[in-house]
Amino acid sequence: MNRLFAFTMAVIILLFVVMPSTYVIDQAEQGILVQFGEPVGDVITEPGLHWKLPYVQTVRRFDKRIMPWDGDVGQVPTLGREFILVDATARWRIADPLKFLRSVRDEAGARTRLDDIIDSVVRDIISGTDLEEIVRSADWAVDAKALSEEGVALGDVDLDKPKKGRARLEQEIRTAAAKQTPELGIELVDVRLKRINYIDSVRAQVENRMISERQSIAERFRSEGQGRSQEILGEMQRELRTIRSEAERQAAEVRGKADAEATKIYGESYGADPEFYAFLRTLESYQAMGANTTLMLGADSEFFRYLESTRKRSAPAQ
Amino acid sequence: MSDTENKVAELLALARKGGNKGRNGGGAAARPSSGRVWPVVVLVGLGLAVWAFSSSFYTVQPEERAVVKRFGKVISINDPGLHFKLPFGVDAVQKVATERVLKQEFGFRTEDGDNERSSYSTQDFPEESLMLSGDLNIIDVEWVVQYRISDPMKYLYQQRDPDRTLRDMSESVMRRVVGNRLGSEVLTTARVAIATVAREEIQKAMADYDNGIHIVTVELQDVVPPAAVKPAFNEVNEARQERERMINEATKQANQEVPRARGEANRALSEAQGYATERVNQAKGETARFNAILTEYRSAPDVTRTRMYLETLNTVLPKVGSVLVVQEGQMGPLPLLNLRDNAAKKESAQ
Repeated sequence: MNRLFAFTMAVIILLFVVMPSTYVIDQAEQGILVQFGEPVGDVITEPGLHWKLPYVQTVRRFDKRIMPWDGDVGQVPTLGREFILVDATARWRIADPLKFLRSVRDEAGARTRLDDIIDSVVRDIISGTDLEEIVRSADWAVDAKALSEEGVALGDVDLDKPKKGRARLEQEIRTAAAKQTPELGIELVDVRLKRINYIDSVRAQVENRMISERQSIAERFRSEGQGRSQEILGEMQRELRTIRSEAERQAAEVRGKADAEATKIYGESYGADPEFYAFLRTLESYQAMGANTTLMLGADSEFFRYLESTRKRSAPAQ
Repeated sequence: MSDTENKVAELLALARKGGNKGRNGGGAAARPSSGRVWPVVVLVGLGLAVWAFSSSFYTVQPEERAVVKRFGKVISINDPGLHFKLPFGVDAVQKVATERVLKQEFGFRTEDGDNERSSYSTQDFPEESLMLSGDLNIIDVEWVVQYRISDPMKYLYQQRDPDRTLRDMSESVMRRVVGNRLGSEVLTTARVAIATVAREEIQKAMADYDNGIHIVTVELQDVVPPAAVKPAFNEVNEARQERERMINEATKQANQEVPRARGEANRALSEAQGYATERVNQAKGETARFNAILTEYRSAPDVTRTRMYLETLNTVLPKVGSVLVVQEGQMGPLPLLNLRDNAAKKESAQ
């Protein structure tokens, strides 16, 4: 009986005295003891088993890790009056649990306050900045070669280096927003622009612009092809004419030289006795006479002379 | 954390139950019929023993590390194998797969295919993949981030939901990197550079949060212009092909005609050279003959002349159609010629 009684007493003590006067702080947590609604003592950051006054004190636990915050997607006009969709994301932590407990009570409360603070800062900064500034970074450098390959005027988009660039803007947003958070016991670790896109109507316009840009590039390729083709054909014609005229010239030269040489040979040879050459050549040409020829000879010609008499005559003068 | 709480709540509930039973038992034990109480106590004790046994060891798989917490405080990180711990939820174990390479997909999702081929979900995630390039064009970039948990302690306790942070940072970094390039570069030459820079920057962001994530690689998948613009991009490719085709055709024609013209030129030149040789040889031959005749002629000019003349007439006269002998002072031969007959002969010959 006694043993049973002792066991029962032990259980009762454990349940009603020991359990309520201990509490566990997880590795990921920090805690504050609250006594009748009033925080007492320091923040407990050391994880493990801790003691407290039973029933009088309760523990409020807060995450001590870095926590994510994701804002709603907002439509914001930029300085250039384009409406864009901006989605920001941030990382924050509870730096001062006491202030945090007093000002926002819990994470849900903190989230709504962060929504207000970050959204408004993001809007302020985005609407005072050109879209190029938001998209490009400080180390923006246009590859001139890539551009010339495209070879197309990019229209109204200027390709200047941004004055601040995306990273600087994120930095500014963080700095501006972080000014307002310490009084909530919150440290804003980081603010980033997660997504930036055109709203649908602007997107359609941009797509049309891209299409016309592509089409002009396509046209350029086509006319380049035609141009190059004509160039090659022209070059071919030039080459053909050069080759042919060169050949004609050389042939004429060769023929000319040969003719000249022949003339020289004839001249040297026939010059020895021009009269005899004329005689010989004439006789040869007589050989060409044929059936169609009617030859009229004087009766007193050399040939017929012996028809009349066989008298010896003096030979005709040479 | 919630795990521990659950365990503690369970413990409390069980203790309360046991306590109640104990008290009831105690109440009952005051009465003489105490024989019914003991089996209940024994049963409860047995239950506790089973629970104690089953919750006092755990196994860590080869790719995992186990983080052991006692009353919420991390006391050790254990390697794979069988390990013991304090029961009743005093020690809680969280297992983290540190050796496994994990993957996050942006703009698409791999479906768990039951066949061997992995298939991709037909669903698109344009809000993840559409971004602006530096020349303010829209571009659709899909990519994969592969990462490993290098430090389980930091992974669990530096940051809440580090995977989500990785996701957010990846999107932010990828947009920054793509926004710092021309759209045409992103589509073509800069893919590798973008992946490299993105990996470095995501890794740096993770290191800044000190959340124990190591980025293995960042790989770009489909990088395409938005659907509405795609046909125009294809048109550019077609035009580029067409340009090459036109150039090739012209080159082909040139290649056909120029060598032929060269051949023709060589032929003309050779012909001319042939003519030259022929002409000179002819001249040499003729003059040689002339010289020979001349030498002989000079030895007896008169006789040779007459002989040559007569010989010529001798060969010519038989071939000649008609020979008219004209005597001086007589009527000319013209009226006697039968010109009409000649003309008719000519016509019939034609």
